[in-house]
Amino acid sequence: MKKLALGLAPIVVLAAVAVWSTCRITGAGAGVPGDAAWARASAAVRETHRPGDLIVFAPRWIDPVGRLHLGDLLPIEMAARMDADRYGVIWELGIRGARAPETRGLRPVWTGTFGGVEVRRFERVPAEVVSDLVAIAEAAPGRLQLGGLAARGPQVVLAEVGFEPHRCVQVVPSPGQEVTVTFPAVALGGELVGAVGLADVFTRRDVRTPIELIVQAGGKEVARATAGVDDGWVRWRGATTPGTADVTFVARAVGGAKARDRLVCFAAEARR
Amino acid sequence: MSDVRFLPGAREGHKSIPTTPAGGRVATTDARVWRKGWWIRSAVALGLWLAAFVLVVSAQGDVGIARDETVYMGHGTKYARWWLDTLGGKDGQVSEKGITASWGGKGATDNNREHPPLMKTAFGLSEIVLHDKLGVASEVTAYRVPTAAMFAWLVVVVFFWAAQVWGTATGVIAALATLFLPRAFFHAGLATFDAPIATLWVATMYAYWRSLRSPGWAIGAGVLFGLSLATKHNALLMPFALAPHFIYVVVRQLRAGQPLGRMWLVAPAMMLIGPLVLIALWPWLWFDTVAHVRDWLKFHMNHVHYNFEYLGENWNAPPFPWHVALVTTLFTVPAATLAAAAAGTGVWLRQAVKGEAPERETAPGLLLFLSAAVAMGPFFLGSTPIFGAEKHWAAAIPSLCIAAAVGAVWAARCAVAALHELRELWTHPHLELGAICVVGSLLVLPAAIETIHAQPRGLTHYNAIAGGAPGGADHGMNRQFWGESARGVLPFLRSRPPGPVYSHDASPAWGIYIRDKLLPPTMRDAGREEAGIAASRIALVIHELHFNRHDYLIWSAYRTTRPVFVLRVDGVPIVSVYERPR
Repeated sequence: MKKLALGLAPIVVLAAVAVWSTCRITGAGAGVPGDAAWARASAAVRETHRPGDLIVFAPRWIDPVGRLHLGDLLPIEMAARMDADRYGVIWELGIRGARAPETRGLRPVWTGTFGGVEVRRFERVPAEVVSDLVAIAEAAPGRLQLGGLAARGPQVVLAEVGFEPHRCVQVVPSPGQEVTVTFPAVALGGELVGAVGLADVFTRRDVRTPIELIVQAGGKEVARATAGVDDGWVRWRGATTPGTADVTFVARAVGGAKARDRLVCFAAEARR
Repeated sequence: MSDVRFLPGAREGHKSIPTTPAGGRVATTDARVWRKGWWIRSAVALGLWLAAFVLVVSAQGDVGIARDETVYMGHGTKYARWWLDTLGGKDGQVSEKGITASWGGKGATDNNREHPPLMKTAFGLSEIVLHDKLGVASEVTAYRVPTAAMFAWLVVVVFFWAAQVWGTATGVIAALATLFLPRAFFHAGLATFDAPIATLWVATMYAYWRSLRSPGWAIGAGVLFGLSLATKHNALLMPFALAPHFIYVVVRQLRAGQPLGRMWLVAPAMMLIGPLVLIALWPWLWFDTVAHVRDWLKFHMNHVHYNFEYLGENWNAPPFPWHVALVTTLFTVPAATLAAAAAGTGVWLRQAVKGEAPERETAPGLLLFLSAAVAMGPFFLGSTPIFGAEKHWAAAIPSLCIAAAVGAVWAARCAVAALHELRELWTHPHLELGAICVVGSLLVLPAAIETIHAQPRGLTHYNAIAGGAPGGADHGMNRQFWGESARGVLPFLRSRPPGPVYSHDASPAWGIYIRDKLLPPTMRDAGREEAGIAASRIALVIHELHFNRHDYLIWSAYRTTRPVFVLRVDGVPIVSVYERPR
């Protein structure tokens, strides 16, 4: 019998692989919820959704389908946010057991499953934003003071940084130059939080030099961050004294390199 | 076995030929058997060729137009017309000026001179004959027919090679395993070079191998090497597989005290005939040959690194991960084929250790291994661009398919031997054939189902190990490239009010879609990048990680993040369509 079992083992294994692989391939689509499930899930969200509630999708690759069903509740400013800290309510719609990074460590207050779309509602105390520097730059670009030689900017753009959307202040230092962007008289809280990265995949590919951002509040350095071509959206934070002060961002290529097309993209919020 | 003179094809189709469970076979010098076998093999080969050709040509009808195809189609027609005019006696064609006008220029990519011309010329001739003259095929299909024919030829070459060494059944299974590779099948339906170079690579290897016994094949090996060079620069790697194999065979022969005969002829034949064929087929090399060859190679040595997603990261600069070729192959070749190939490789290794490998003198197993290793080799270096993935080492996969067939036949023979041990009753003369059919089906049917399932969006396909297309997305594998999947949203676009379309990566194909009446002329291409989006009423984004920026450009212009349609493959988004809010 042992000889028989050994002799038949290869054919049995091959048969098992054949059946398993066929089922897995032909059934692959069944593991991803279709439009009917998404419609039910989005209806559930719409029942209690309020303007300002953040909606996120997981895994990242299902994002277009999520926006197809709930994109009208996801304005550009929200989709291209600096981070999720300012949102007190987060709706997460996930499939295949995936979770969004924005809800890491949070406990849902409500969950529902709709044909494979898992909907979770999270509530938390949001970060209290005293000043949004991107909003300031957008509302009054003339207020910004530029120092040094910039090839472009500063201007508020919707940029691709680390393959994600981010609204940011973008400035491109001329090769070998250091650029300063000063926001005068910014209302500050206890901390200044922000992020920086290199925008545009093609210039990241062609020029590999990282950039450095130095953040000063009232003439004093409060944070410093370095962003390389593969680092994406790099977070930073620094303590500030509540009150009003000038906030200055110093952007340059690391090591003073004469790198062209460094699309420095940064966002910042003063928080209570 | 070693004392039996090899006679190609002598060992198939004859019940009395003894076999071993390990797949070793005993040769015969019976000329009658050989002739009979030859006819059977030829009939099988013809059937395989026809089946492959018809299946590929039928399937490509739903496949969108790949960005590179549009370039090769246009230049192919130009090249073909140059040849027709030249052969028709038109004046000035072969002057430097006449050649440059169609084949070259000062710029590195003028007249697409960075790629050899064989397949482009074939595309152009096919379009002129099948579409323009005979009207039996659409323009796009006519351009694609030569690739389909070449792929069908690959299936046949694999059949002949495997059949000659391991028997007809092995040959048939290997050929079908080659036919039913979802990614290769997809590329077989495009007017590009990837399927043809895989064919010519394997055909050259086969002709070289035949020449070791039959020196007359050396001429064929030289010609095929030249055709390979005239197809794609991958051919330059072939000597790295052939040379060590040739050295191994020669050393082995000398150690055994056997004369080399005219075996050596293949080396000069390939070195001389190969380049001559390349030059003959490429008028751009008819003057300033060294400079033009240098330019051609320089272009590829300094090729721009396109963006490509692999295991969740976008890669566009070296060092690239060393394991790209292994993981991608593991994720794209049908699982049953991989499982059988693992068994077949084990059989080969055991035979090699025991000295029982068939055709030890010419070492076909070693050659197939070297062929695969060299085809994949550059991708282990970390400096070779990884865009295009498996299509760039497609020549390696037939070796895998032959190994799979050897493994399947071995599994069948193991089962028969075991049943024979159990009961004497299990000795029916057709039992082995039946077992091979069953096991062959276990390999071929899942692969066929997978290949059908993968069409027409073959580039989004991943196998069961990856978890299908959704598993590929979960693993962060590239979802597609070349923009061909835009074809899938054309029915939706036709249902929308007319207006300019930002066609994104499908821009080069847009005019052909309109010409083929897949879109109304009112849905013209709006242009490129921000200006195109600004001028558009509808905008497409073809999803690749590095194309995310196009979503954001559209959001900015249309002031919405909401697409109106998302094309999916097994639930995985591949194209989003936005409509400018009224």
